[in-house]
Amino acid sequence: MDIKKGQRRFIFFCLTPAVMLFIIFLIVPTINVFRMSTYKWGGYTDEKTFVGLQNFTKLFQSEKFYQAFQNSLLLIVVVSVITFALALVFASILSREKLKGQNLLRIIFYIPNILSVVVISAIFSAIYDPNSGLLNAILNLFRGSESAPTLWLGDQKIVIFSLSGAMIWQAIGYYMVMYMASMANVPESLYESAELEGAGRMEKFFSITIPLIWTNIRTTLTFFIISTINMSFLFVVAMTEGGPDGSTEVFLSYMYKEAYTNSSYGYGMAIGVIVFLFSFALAAILNAVTSRDHLEY
Amino acid sequence: MKKIISLALTAFLTLSLVACGSNTNNGANTTPGNSATPTPTNATEPAETQVLKFAALETAYGADMWKKVAAGFENANPNVKIETTIDKNLEDVIGPSMKSGDFPDVILISVGQPKGMTETFVKDNNVLDLTDVLSMTVPGESVTVKDKIIPGFTDTSITNPYGDGKTHLMPMFYSPTGLFFNAGLFEQKGWTVPTTWDEMWALGDKAKAEGIALFAYPTTGYFDSLFYALLNEVGGPEFFGKAMSYTEGVWQTPEATQAFDIISKLASYTEQTVPANANKDNFVKNQQLILDNKALFMPNGTWIVGEMGSAPRAEGFKWGFTSLPAVTDGGDRYSYTFFEQIWVPAKAENPDLAKQFIAYLYSDEAAAIFAEAGAIQPIKGLSDKLEGDNKLFYSIYDNGTKAAMGAFATTDPVEGVSISDTVFGTVDSLVTKAKTQQQWVEAITKASDSLRGALK
Amino acid sequence: MNNNKLAKLGISDKLYKGLNYVVLILLAIIIIVPVAWAFIASVKQDIEFYGNPWVLPQGFYLQNFVDAWEKAKMGSYMLNSLIVTSIALGLLLVIALPAAYVLSRFKFRGSVFWNMMFMAGLFINVNYIVVPIFLMLNNGDKAVRGFLGHPIFLNNLFVLALVYAAMALPFTIYLLSGYFKSLPKEFEEAASVDGAGYFRTMVQIIMPMAKPSIVTVILFNFLSFWNEYIISMTLLTTPGLRTLPVGLMNLMAAQKSAVQYGQMYAGLVIVMLPTLILYILVQKKLTQGMTMGGLKG
Repeated sequence: MDIKKGQRRFIFFCLTPAVMLFIIFLIVPTINVFRMSTYKWGGYTDEKTFVGLQNFTKLFQSEKFYQAFQNSLLLIVVVSVITFALALVFASILSREKLKGQNLLRIIFYIPNILSVVVISAIFSAIYDPNSGLLNAILNLFRGSESAPTLWLGDQKIVIFSLSGAMIWQAIGYYMVMYMASMANVPESLYESAELEGAGRMEKFFSITIPLIWTNIRTTLTFFIISTINMSFLFVVAMTEGGPDGSTEVFLSYMYKEAYTNSSYGYGMAIGVIVFLFSFALAAILNAVTSRDHLEY
Repeated sequence: MKKIISLALTAFLTLSLVACGSNTNNGANTTPGNSATPTPTNATEPAETQVLKFAALETAYGADMWKKVAAGFENANPNVKIETTIDKNLEDVIGPSMKSGDFPDVILISVGQPKGMTETFVKDNNVLDLTDVLSMTVPGESVTVKDKIIPGFTDTSITNPYGDGKTHLMPMFYSPTGLFFNAGLFEQKGWTVPTTWDEMWALGDKAKAEGIALFAYPTTGYFDSLFYALLNEVGGPEFFGKAMSYTEGVWQTPEATQAFDIISKLASYTEQTVPANANKDNFVKNQQLILDNKALFMPNGTWIVGEMGSAPRAEGFKWGFTSLPAVTDGGDRYSYTFFEQIWVPAKAENPDLAKQFIAYLYSDEAAAIFAEAGAIQPIKGLSDKLEGDNKLFYSIYDNGTKAAMGAFATTDPVEGVSISDTVFGTVDSLVTKAKTQQQWVEAITKASDSLRGALK
Repeated sequence: MNNNKLAKLGISDKLYKGLNYVVLILLAIIIIVPVAWAFIASVKQDIEFYGNPWVLPQGFYLQNFVDAWEKAKMGSYMLNSLIVTSIALGLLLVIALPAAYVLSRFKFRGSVFWNMMFMAGLFINVNYIVVPIFLMLNNGDKAVRGFLGHPIFLNNLFVLALVYAAMALPFTIYLLSGYFKSLPKEFEEAASVDGAGYFRTMVQIIMPMAKPSIVTVILFNFLSFWNEYIISMTLLTTPGLRTLPVGLMNLMAAQKSAVQYGQMYAGLVIVMLPTLILYILVQKKLTQGMTMGGLKG
């Protein structure tokens, strides 16, 4: 009885500060975002008109919103898939093969992740520049310098992929370190016995490594969704401002434009609500689809 | 102890939340920019000190001129203290506190800014009527404000946004806009500056043969001045007014079609890499095209000289500036006048003092301080005193070019519709051929239709 | 025959290893070159920025750093950033560690609920709750001015740190609980036999074991606090209180005036250096922390 009481008090004291902070700075503001999404409000007056779900119906009729939705989704898919594949392969090379300079390489690969987006944007502006950019200079070695320059940030069909390039460059190290961390936990004996059975590298990778770090992979899927939505906003703001002509507009950049530039704060918050629900739902679906029996080692 | 503090804090916050919904009036009297409360009245000073809160966007002219002008006003009015907030990211600095009902008394920030703060205030009927400032006597002088301001500047659709003859925004620093080019290059090549669009296209073909593009633009945002001037050229001020107020069918008129045709053609003469650099990080590279003789013309304003001051340039480079070519031989030529606006939020605490301050800004004393920093107000006779490049720029209206002013009419906010994005932003797509002229006109018509119903 | 196969394997093995090196070094170059570019750009003179961005600087123009540090006040902003970041990290650890411990190792009424809530908190995006937070703090200021005479919530480095800590709670708790879950139950049982209370068990036994995880938490959150500017810009409006990234924004161009590129890149490097140094110091522990921590497979 006394033990129970002591435990309860301990739990209470440990949990309360975190819960309080969480409620005040995350839950309550989020509730306010939901509340504001049902209002028409310019932003600077007392005149707030309740409009029910009107902001949402308008949203679903807006071409621009669909464009932003499409771009966000495309970025989530492209950035996640490529980052995932590359990070996994490099992690497996770095943790399975005995190579010289492994440590140095590991340090280097993580560096993009600690840079601010402003720096990354400046760097990629110099890479993507049509005339003096590094990328066109390299391409010109193959196609001759007289050919028309590729407009990495100017061609509506390419620009979203240019953006993903920068995002992948930034994210790869982070996920690589994550995968390496869990690969280090896979017991060496499993690989040894597989080798005795004559399994090749590929086979080992797919039948041992992947299944054993599956939980970790599932976790990172959620991170991919959350961070791509967030990072794509920062990259767009720094690199293209949604241009040219709206072709790189993403969820949050569109939200900012409507909430602040177009004096439609309530409408902007409706986009915020959609982003929250969408990312939550997507993560839940992925989580359900990827669930399989947990393997222990 | 930490827990107690955090508990106490959270208690405060939760309490304050209860008041959240209703408590938005402006009982507060501190700008976040100046959280230290103003010192109470000095013992030696019996009159109560009035505090005027002034906020301005810091532009190329710098912040110093404002400090000097504020000091000048304080000297003339010993019981007034001016708290200034001058910042390059002004909207971010004063925006949040204004959302909670705490406003500066006077704000200098123009329409057309990325975050559209001024537009928001106009849309919300949240700017004070300043018509009576026009009839106020300029402090220390014997003339009224109206007498000093160049005619035309206080009856544009920007200064009088509701079309009721009342001035809500006062015009400040102005700058003629038009096409900038390298006059030195024209001399070397023996080319003449085109006066009609037909001559323009002919020159474009000639330049193309030498590997020079006819046209470049920094970002699509710079098309506002060009488009407004062009609309005046094709249809005169009355047509321009119709277009600006989204009159039904206006975009299908022959005049509008002519303007669209010219811009589409201009897009096809545009240096091909321009859209790739038409963003806030790289637009300087597009401006550099002119200095490097890779493109002939760009739409810009007089600030370009200072902005590109330290940039390398082609040998013999000399700034040239012209208004838009005429549509027909001998037709009217226009130059759009860009000017900044100063205004008073409707909820300002000291509206009378704010008006006095604005009147003071048109005094000779203040004008001299501004002019020293390169900021020119639309005050009669001021442009005569200019020297150097500025003399060339500000005399553009002396030889027959007409001034165009105004902008798209203010409407209630329409969610998801932005006329400037639709009209100007699409130019990138015209250059890269991602959209056709027809698609462009259709989009403009659609945006225009939905804004018409929301007109003030 | 057997020998033959082995020999073949040896050759293909060497080839494979060589290929690994090529790929890894290529990736390393793709990362190093742009980062080095940012450093090199910071010692260029303004006029050098108008030409080809890949030309080496004409000399070491260190005046950029002096200007950024003194004229642009990056020096005093650095102090603000240090204060905010360290307070936020301290608060976060004090609040998140006990909460994560309790949430992951005790079953109590509401434990499932709060675990879920903190998970859901991962999906809340700073970009749309920042204005509601501002309005809440501002209302708080109006309320306290009544009896304190001056506002206390806005323009307060401590409050900003508190908000940062709150924002980081979901991810931190998630990371730490994963680690705590992996510990065997025996630790507490042994401690209990020794007569240690809950609190002592947590502080003296569990926390020391969590060190690698704590290092990971510190690094991740240091990066995000240090580079954060949206909340900082909104909650701190007194120029003297600005943090580094906000100061950096002001180093970017004023409208319609010449950009001081050299100073800007020097500012970028000043923001970047502390994160680089910290990362290199703790990078070994980073993988270790994740290995044993929440991201375990």
